[in-house]
Amino acid sequence: MRLKLIGCQVLTRELELVAARSPHSIEAEIVPMGLHDLGVAMRPHLQERIDLADTASYDAILLGYALCGRGTDGLRAGKTPLVLPRSHDCIGLLMGSRHLYHEYFDAHPGVYFRSPGWIEHQIPGQTLEPAFSAAYNTDGKRHTIKELVARYGEENGTYLFEQFASSRRGYSGLTYISTGVDFEDSFREAARGEARKEGWDFEEIEGSLSLLQRLVNGDWDAADFLVVPPGAAVTTTLGDTIVGAK
Amino acid sequence: MAQSRQLYDAILNGNAKQAHAATLAAIETGTTPMTLIADSMVPAMDEVGRLFEEEEYFVPELLLAGRAMKTAMELLRPLMTASGEKLPVRVVIGTVKGDLHDIGKNIVASMLEGSGFEVIDLGADVAPEKFVTAVVELAPQFVCMSALLTVTMPSMKTTIEALSSAGLRTKVKVLIGGAPVTMAYAHEIGADGYSENASGAVGLVRSFLAEA
Repeated sequence: MRLKLIGCQVLTRELELVAARSPHSIEAEIVPMGLHDLGVAMRPHLQERIDLADTASYDAILLGYALCGRGTDGLRAGKTPLVLPRSHDCIGLLMGSRHLYHEYFDAHPGVYFRSPGWIEHQIPGQTLEPAFSAAYNTDGKRHTIKELVARYGEENGTYLFEQFASSRRGYSGLTYISTGVDFEDSFREAARGEARKEGWDFEEIEGSLSLLQRLVNGDWDAADFLVVPPGAAVTTTLGDTIVGAK
Repeated sequence: MAQSRQLYDAILNGNAKQAHAATLAAIETGTTPMTLIADSMVPAMDEVGRLFEEEEYFVPELLLAGRAMKTAMELLRPLMTASGEKLPVRVVIGTVKGDLHDIGKNIVASMLEGSGFEVIDLGADVAPEKFVTAVVELAPQFVCMSALLTVTMPSMKTTIEALSSAGLRTKVKVLIGGAPVTMAYAHEIGADGYSENASGAVGLVRSFLAEA
């Protein structure tokens, strides 16, 4: 098959690795990470790329994404079917199973997840932030305490900084998901350093490329993949299927 | 009244110090807490909400206005306890189990408090059982739930089911919100209402009270 893969930058090394091992012809397009910060406003960015790919002749357009805070909800297939793995977010993809993610999430509240991509593609010099934190900075930027104090004064600036950082207080551990890509040591060490800096426990778990490999191999069993037929769109179902098509 | 205007401005400008001073001055002239809340605080928070809807105020302004309002409430609360004055409506609010995001929820709590409702904030990562216990112990009219992850949204459904199992579902109005939450999801799980922002939450609570 000739397959177009549109994937999130956070999965770059993983997607490149599995694509190289696929029997099919894969054309990969990596989209800058952080779109999920836009929430559902992420959709038009992806739809644009899907529509462009749709003008060519691919057998399917693979999405290296998940539900992503409903950012993929509503994506519509043109003449080319879309394939989306069933997962709430990239953590499920990195673990290779939404069920494993669910179990781990329930058993480990207050955990920050990191992976090779989450370390490698963060903007240099920026502190690692969890998904969605930038939603609170409505101008889309993360602000240092200095910037806030300069804009709002000492007292109010400090208060705002503490409020924006408040979600971080609930976290107690950092879990690094190892996916077996090359050069992983530096990513792992950076994650370890971040945990140390925040005073969090550090845990490493083994992720899995199996789900992503099946995505690029064309093994799209309905249990783990949503195939959106031409003209239909992704819907949010939550529950075990997470996404559907209508 | 001069003090009312001063508190009104203080909240609108997110000036906690001025809010403190204005409240003290108002108390000294014999203004009752309920009067100050109704005449100055609620209109100020309404205006803050309107400015947010008009996209003139953003999250930082909401947070700062909320802080100024809370400063005033800290002075008023002991007086109300002493005189036995109670706010007529009680709201319990929390972010659901497994979810630690709280800024949006804090803003909603703030807007509701500033609108003259008594708000008990259960914090984040609130299990269904904890919501149920809060309803049993506090008898609120409203339960507000927030989720910022699709992973944790199902906990909203579980909490509503837990309220039903405990025979409490009809005693409260359940309102939900959070970035990935939708009106459709509210219908699906049998919530009473959904709002996409804090000022909408205030409007929802008021419309339910008007119906009652």
